[in-house]
Amino acid sequence: MAPEGMVHALEEIHRLLRSAGTLIEIHPALEVPYVEVRSDGRGLFAEEDPGYDYEDDLRHAEAAVATIVDRGVFVLEDRRRFELRTHAASVSELRRYWDVYNAYDPEEKDEGLARRQDEMYARSGEVLERSPGAEIVYVEPAMMSRLVPAR
Amino acid sequence: MGIRIDPESDETDALFDLVDLDGREVLEIGCADGRLTWRYADRVAHVTAIEPFADSLARARRRLAEAPDDRIELRNVAFEDFAAASDADVFDVTLLSWSLC
Repeated sequence: MAPEGMVHALEEIHRLLRSAGTLIEIHPALEVPYVEVRSDGRGLFAEEDPGYDYEDDLRHAEAAVATIVDRGVFVLEDRRRFELRTHAASVSELRRYWDVYNAYDPEEKDEGLARRQDEMYARSGEVLERSPGAEIVYVEPAMMSRLVPAR
Repeated sequence: MGIRIDPESDETDALFDLVDLDGREVLEIGCADGRLTWRYADRVAHVTAIEPFADSLARARRRLAEAPDDRIELRNVAFEDFAAASDADVFDVTLLSWSLC
């Protein structure tokens, strides 16, 4: 979504909310997501996702929230950083999940990024195969904000 | 084993820490397959969960068909269209769920 579209959406949300209402806004944090292989609580592998390519979108989202606060539409009351973890038994299971989950996204990933991502998943898969009972975990740092109507 | 998302409950802990959903009228924008919706729906009076991508919402609808819950209303609609057809001042809480960017 273009930055002005984000601001407009936030203004529309303000209109739909009751005056004592609350907006909870969740988006990925400005941090690179990473992949882990874990077994019995021990980390066996951890690498950042080389396919991460949406930093500009995140900056636009942060800017849109800042804009509606600056315009006096919402007051930012509180924020929480958290990590959303997606666990799978195999690399193929995890990648199938992402393929389905991201099917709506029409953008083709840059070839170089896609190749480096394939290589990272191959390395994680090798560790996984050597470690019976281990699982692969995709970790997305995220930010959750509580905003309330300012007027 | 299957995919498990947030078995640690980090996301829901943050959500319940930031907002009281008990008995609230909630709008969730970008509910996708309802992954988050089902984790808080038992607290709310009603949630209108909207999602513009039909394939994602179809997964949520299958889940709702398997376990009907009158509190959950799923709508296949983009937010701008939903907002244009909605009255003002109707929701206690809006969740903008991983969909601003």
